[in-house]
Amino acid sequence: MNLLKDTTRRHLFQQCGVGLGSIALNKILQQDAYAGFTPKIDPANPMDLRLPPQAAKAKNVIFLFMAGAPSQLDLFSDKPKLREFHGKTPPKSLMEGKRFAFLKGNETLLGSERKFGRYGQCGMTISELFPHHQKIVDEVTWLQGMTTDVFNHGPAKLFMNTGFPAPGRPSLGSWATYGLGSASRDLPGFVVLQSGPRGPRAGSTLWNSGFLPTSFQGVPFRGKGDPILYLRSPKGIKREQERNFYNTVSELNQARLDETADPEIMTRINSYEMAYRMQSSAPELMDLSQESARTFENYGCKPGEPSFANNCILARRLVERGTRFVQLYHTNWDSHGGPGENLNSDFEKVCRDVDQASAALILDLKERGLLDDTLVIWGGEFGRTPMGEVRKTVGRDHHIDAFTMWMAGGGIKKGYIHGSTDELGFGVTEGKVHVHDLHATILHLLGFDHEKLTYRFQGRDFRLTDVHGHVVKDILA
Amino acid sequence: MKTLYSILFSLLFLAHDSSPAEEKLRFNRDIRSILSDNCYHCHGPDEETLEADLRLDSFAEATRDLGGYAGIVPGKPDESEIIFRMEDHDDIMPPSKSKKVVSPEDIATLRKWIEQGAEYEPHWAFLPIEKNEAPQTKQSDWPKNPIDSFILAKLEQEGITPSPEAERSVLIRRLYVDLLGLLPTPEEVEAFLKDSTPTAYEKLVDRLLANPHYGERWGRHWLDQARYADSNGYSVDSERQMWPYRDWVIDAHNQDMPFDQFTIEQIAGDLLENPSKNQLIATAFHRNTLINQEGGTDAEQFRVEAAMDRINTTGAVWLGLTLGCAQCHTHKFDPIQHREYFEMYAFFNQGTDKNNKGKTINVIEGEVFKNRHPSLTSNSSPAQDERDLAKPAKAEIMIMEDLKTPRDTFLLTRGDFTRPNKELGPLYPGGLASVAPPLPAKEGRNRLDLAKWLIHPENPLTPRVTMNRIWMRYFGRGLVETEEDFGIQGTLPSHPQLLDWLAAEFIAQKWSMKAMHRLIVTSASYRQSSHHRSDLKDRDARNHMLARQNRIRFDAEIVRDAALSASGLLSETIGGPSVHPPQPDGVYAFTQAGKKWATESGANRYRRAIYTKFFRSAPYPLFTTFDAPDFSSVCTKRAKSNTPLQALNLANDPVFVEFARSLALRLSNEAPSLSARIDCGFQLCYSRPPSERERDTLTQFVSQTLSHYESQPDAAKALSSPELTKAVGAPAQAATLVNLARALLNTDNFITRE
Repeated sequence: MNLLKDTTRRHLFQQCGVGLGSIALNKILQQDAYAGFTPKIDPANPMDLRLPPQAAKAKNVIFLFMAGAPSQLDLFSDKPKLREFHGKTPPKSLMEGKRFAFLKGNETLLGSERKFGRYGQCGMTISELFPHHQKIVDEVTWLQGMTTDVFNHGPAKLFMNTGFPAPGRPSLGSWATYGLGSASRDLPGFVVLQSGPRGPRAGSTLWNSGFLPTSFQGVPFRGKGDPILYLRSPKGIKREQERNFYNTVSELNQARLDETADPEIMTRINSYEMAYRMQSSAPELMDLSQESARTFENYGCKPGEPSFANNCILARRLVERGTRFVQLYHTNWDSHGGPGENLNSDFEKVCRDVDQASAALILDLKERGLLDDTLVIWGGEFGRTPMGEVRKTVGRDHHIDAFTMWMAGGGIKKGYIHGSTDELGFGVTEGKVHVHDLHATILHLLGFDHEKLTYRFQGRDFRLTDVHGHVVKDILA
Repeated sequence: MKTLYSILFSLLFLAHDSSPAEEKLRFNRDIRSILSDNCYHCHGPDEETLEADLRLDSFAEATRDLGGYAGIVPGKPDESEIIFRMEDHDDIMPPSKSKKVVSPEDIATLRKWIEQGAEYEPHWAFLPIEKNEAPQTKQSDWPKNPIDSFILAKLEQEGITPSPEAERSVLIRRLYVDLLGLLPTPEEVEAFLKDSTPTAYEKLVDRLLANPHYGERWGRHWLDQARYADSNGYSVDSERQMWPYRDWVIDAHNQDMPFDQFTIEQIAGDLLENPSKNQLIATAFHRNTLINQEGGTDAEQFRVEAAMDRINTTGAVWLGLTLGCAQCHTHKFDPIQHREYFEMYAFFNQGTDKNNKGKTINVIEGEVFKNRHPSLTSNSSPAQDERDLAKPAKAEIMIMEDLKTPRDTFLLTRGDFTRPNKELGPLYPGGLASVAPPLPAKEGRNRLDLAKWLIHPENPLTPRVTMNRIWMRYFGRGLVETEEDFGIQGTLPSHPQLLDWLAAEFIAQKWSMKAMHRLIVTSASYRQSSHHRSDLKDRDARNHMLARQNRIRFDAEIVRDAALSASGLLSETIGGPSVHPPQPDGVYAFTQAGKKWATESGANRYRRAIYTKFFRSAPYPLFTTFDAPDFSSVCTKRAKSNTPLQALNLANDPVFVEFARSLALRLSNEAPSLSARIDCGFQLCYSRPPSERERDTLTQFVSQTLSHYESQPDAAKALSSPELTKAVGAPAQAATLVNLARALLNTDNFITRE
């Protein structure tokens, strides 16, 4: 069919920015000379698979986002000195020039009440609250020296997702699908799942595509029932009648396409076909009846009951079906010490919600041979202070200078501890990894030079890492 | 890719090479982008990153003696340092770490330009507006006004003929969608088709420009730029009441408030002498910034962020410049100094609001404008707002207010509010030096000075940028494609003389928006058919030359409004508090805090989309799916995606099923036979009769569907409504009509302006 050829041609021209005359000449030369990597997007099929410019270590990403910021000092970072100086005023030298969200300046050091042990060959310290994490210590790279720039939840979550503390930039998953497309024809390339008592602060701006085309926006799936809005045909329209409907719409569109020759109509025809397919593929995704009892036991959940663990199973199923980027949000880790957010029973609960399934996901991916291709990232938007924050109980405030994340799978060292903090956990003493560095490393693993993957908007070539970021070579396998 | 480039390269050269040796290279057209892309990062205006004391962004600097040598020696490429270094492979420029490589073709172009004398030109957008005469064209009977002469002259140069005028049925739908955002009724279409007077089209245009729905249609574009929403943003995202501002925008458009006044009232209405209440409401423009209600925030941080957002928004909306780039450092490409940014910022650093909490006033519904229920068209809608206006809604709207004693403004190092540069001393409000007229920084200036500077007749950017955006809405692309960037990195105008003619005419028409709308939509260029042409595929695939119109997908709001029009449900009430049409459960599953959403049952259920309550953290799903932004920051142009989620939304959203039922009822009431119903549906949805092929497709669909439902009585009942079944007679027939209506509402044609 000639039209398809024309379509391709039109899109090719569109991407090359070819107009007429010497303006165009300049533009062509300019693009030729420009050494950046701008993926060629076919607007008819924006999620077409694209090869990255470099050899990739990971094909897919699962980002387990611990919304609210878990306390590294009660989970991963054992500080005997903090216990020793418990109740004392923190050293002045460590507090100078520091800004905190809630602390008033008279707070004292808070030693963790949790017992820690050393596990695995790497000897990672893990607290008693994360017994299942103890099983995966040697599968994971532990980033003990994370830092970020902003200390309020909304801006910090945006920063962790988009490299910028205000809304308007594309998120990590958008960059990944912009660069690579997606292997799934029947499901979105960037999916967001959510669990916990409430949604993450900053909402949809966290998975927004910013200035990138909206095709690269994250699609929030609900953890139960229909994962996306309007998936189900209206009552009274059965599947056979629905096929009839889609055929008719397609024929009407084809008639208009033949009349106007606008290739955009071809895209519309394709979109409707994918919508029809999603009506079966999305429920198939959500149907966990074929998962074994052992799987549910490993993840620690009841089939189909909305939970972080259930979402972890869905994340694995999404990756199996070709979805490029899956992001799970779990609230609420914001352990200030107030009602519902104390460092005791509330903290223990959220640890239980997350511990077993996080570890099970790694082991499950490994068992199925998916871990080599899948990068798993675990962490929150910042860490928590070594000082106690006095509310109804004593909790911890937001801390941006030192916190812990972990990564596993595609291209990442197994059983490796990267970075360390001072004796009280105030700052990073070695192996500092800034959010921009994390982003640079993730893009590297997906096959991109973070300085070259760009999108031109408002006269500037934008990057995920703006003008910052270094690949953390030490953690690469 | 390489091969493609070289083919295109030679093609273009062939096309252009009539007199290769004589061709005079122009700095703006041929040279600037090479230097800007490859060199300005280190040899441009930003002193902080300046290397080797060499600047290449002006003739004086580039040719300055650097001790026996100079970057550029006019007439002598071989003696010019830049050529030497670009060709020197031991110590090449740009340096390899920059990952930039200048192609041999670019170096050849630079050589030729230096040989010809290396003449610089100021950037086109900063030059004064040229008063151009409409060019002469060979074909004299095509142009309907000067716009067409500019378009045709260029087409004739390339030997391309314009497209024929679109069919009248297409034209009337195009005008309704473009000017009102609604569909015409079949009666309106018929009257237009029958009107054989020579000014039938112009009369229609005038009628639509006088229709108060025009203010909703064009006000919506302005609200995008004003980042208007009904909530505070960030995580908590509570409701706010800014709808009187939305109503002010609609009314200002309907009154055709001159754009200069429209600017002054929004930027500085509060600083006018004895401002009216509406002038105060207008200043809500810059109070649409976010409020971070999270605990533990530093109010100063968010005060500074809001002020920066205000200056960045002002830059984007009026000047088409990316001022934000100069927030952290001197602009790398455009002549905007780091210091100048903070002089502009100083205009907005005087607000009494902190974290956007500050001055408010109370407004009562109906206060901004009175007539909210105009009797509009021959098609009066069945649904009327029955709300009791004896109990008008009240709003506490946020407006601008300055401190009595201005705050000191300091340059913030790297844009960081914790790092004021006190050594430099306080900065005073002032305009950009590159943009006429001069407005040097001076103590005591305020936002009113800024507003007057923006609309000063010597300021070339405001009218160019504004006209370019209006053009973009009508043709799908601006004459300057990068409508958000008129700076050096932006694209050049495809029709520079036309852009300047429009800008000059805008001022000559005393900034009347309606006059300019009228000019554009009555042009022959606008009236062309949007059919793609095989003869243009290779020559102008993206239609830069405008030898045809473009098909444009509706904005999200028009998708809803068009379906309301076709189904006959539309409530025509204008203005007032935002409303809650039905939306599915689970929209707030992903937000920090749930939102109240009391689904409307009366006429408010069928209000236009502009009145749907907008929560920034979880917008009404249709809007996001059809590319409306979340209004966290200024939006001058929306994306146009085409996704499966859009298909699911139109096919399955209960709101659209309700529209389909209502359309089915309308078909049943207005047409007796199947064939007449298909015709009627086409008229309601597409303002035209079906082609034979389309009629056959639908006839077959209806007959298959009918036999399906005759064997599925339960399904038929589930899809129909008692009212519809009663009107049609039998459930199977009713369900079949719903299916027909649903198909009509789901085509590409339905959501596209052709």
